[in-house]
Amino acid sequence: MKTHWSGHVITAIQVLLLLVFVLFPFSVMLSVSLKAPDEQFTSPPYLIPKRPTGDNYLHVFGRGSMFVRYFINSFTVALGTTVVVIFVALFSSYGYARLQFPGKKFFFNLLLLSQLFPLAAIIVPLYRIMGQAGLIDTFASLIIGYLAFSVPVGVWLLRGFFVGIPKELEEAAQIDGCSQLQAFWRIVVPLVRPGIGATAAYILFLTWQEFMFALTFITSQDKRTLPVGIFDFVGQYETNWGNLMAASVLICIPVFILFLFVQKQLVGGLTQGAVKG
Amino acid sequence: MKKDWLTGYFFTLPSIILLVILVIYPLFLTLNYSLSDMSLTSSRYLGWTAYNKLFGNKMLPLVFKNSIIWTVLVVFFQLLLGLGSAIVLNKPFWGRSLVRGIMILPWVMPGVVAGMVWRLIYDPQLGLLNHYLKSLGLIDQYLTWLSVPGSAIYAVIFSAIWKGFPFSMLMYLAGLQGVSAELYEAANIDGAGKWKQFRYVTLPSMQPIITITFLLTFIWTFNYFELIYVMTGGGPAESTHIFPTYVYDLAFKRFRFGDASRFAIFDFLFLLIFSLFYVWLSQRQKGAEQ
Repeated sequence: MKTHWSGHVITAIQVLLLLVFVLFPFSVMLSVSLKAPDEQFTSPPYLIPKRPTGDNYLHVFGRGSMFVRYFINSFTVALGTTVVVIFVALFSSYGYARLQFPGKKFFFNLLLLSQLFPLAAIIVPLYRIMGQAGLIDTFASLIIGYLAFSVPVGVWLLRGFFVGIPKELEEAAQIDGCSQLQAFWRIVVPLVRPGIGATAAYILFLTWQEFMFALTFITSQDKRTLPVGIFDFVGQYETNWGNLMAASVLICIPVFILFLFVQKQLVGGLTQGAVKG
Repeated sequence: MKKDWLTGYFFTLPSIILLVILVIYPLFLTLNYSLSDMSLTSSRYLGWTAYNKLFGNKMLPLVFKNSIIWTVLVVFFQLLLGLGSAIVLNKPFWGRSLVRGIMILPWVMPGVVAGMVWRLIYDPQLGLLNHYLKSLGLIDQYLTWLSVPGSAIYAVIFSAIWKGFPFSMLMYLAGLQGVSAELYEAANIDGAGKWKQFRYVTLPSMQPIITITFLLTFIWTFNYFELIYVMTGGGPAESTHIFPTYVYDLAFKRFRFGDASRFAIFDFLFLLIFSLFYVWLSQRQKGAEQ
């Protein structure tokens, strides 16, 4: 079916409008991150910097700035959480996808139900538990806290990938003398590698930006993660918008790159998980 | 058979244990705190009468009303915008996969960062919004979007729609790709126009994915904390508090753990009842159609 030229024009206009809507905040972020203070505070404001400068970025990395520290902290916590989640979720999601045992449906529903819990509903007890365990102000408190929401998500996502793998493969392996565990580890896990990548990326993405626990459990400045650390640039009376936006750009970059690589698998996993879950 | 059970538990037990320790047990503790007058220094057990304090609290109707306005508007417009943009991005055009990649960026952007950027956009002096609206002649003077009780909540809602709609778009895009081409051909032969095709082919085929996406975005939006916290902190004059922000405020700014727990339990029960009702309704509808 050939589309009339006016159809193309309409599509082009629609795409353009959507792009403007989506990209406007990003252009503001980028623009201010490249402006020197005098340009930031010009009234009326304008989008394109007249004398773009990298000073804000240098400042974010410069002496007296904790930004690099926050970056490392965020990375440590996100990676730590992701490793634990993937390990736990690999086994569990396989169990829910393939194995039969009493209470399976109940536990899986419980897992889905946990998505209803506002983190705010469990933050007070978690805070007290962390306090009693002497974990307040440690990365461990964050990693453990993050498991509360990321394990269910991980299991739910990975399960979708396991369901998509033909059962016959493991059955054949078991007939050849593999135990269930061997069949799982040697045959099935390598096949869901794209799913593992996508799930890991999603958990990294969730933990990289987590804010509420990070704000509550961490008390000393040098242990803060990025979403809380970024408030260094928000003064009580005046916000350093140039530095703040430069830092924002830098926080976004890792997740954008991550998504570039796993976008297809992740979208597939999310939509399948949602429909089949 | 028994051996299979053991394998099943072996595989799933770690996640069950974590779930119980980190979610179920804390939830029971919250329920327990909600029956007391707990603060930083003291705790007095009140029993179920503690809930009189919740229902007598003037903030409950306000927070509930805000939560509903916030959630309903955000979810509704995300559905509309998500479906619309999915339809546009499902058409063939040059550079489509790049555009699709760009379109999901708001959803990928960390929430705190999004909150900061929108704060800057809404800033009365430095923000571009006022400048553009004034240039277009839509306003006479610069408005203080986030510091006036009437407009703050809608400003935050607009940002939340922007931030979250790509998720709906992704889901609907996947849904559109699943609609069978034969149905469209049949509709075409029957002489159905574009609108009728959308109404009688696209929408019914998309029904399951719309149903689940609506529920997911509803729950996420209802529980979404950082955007409001970063943009307004619940202000001005407590006018933009929703459940998560208010619970946090009560617990960690005023250390009224008892009050915070009661609001949290109310939040959780509301979502639970809503979700169960929603699932029941959609199952019944599905049953009625078959």
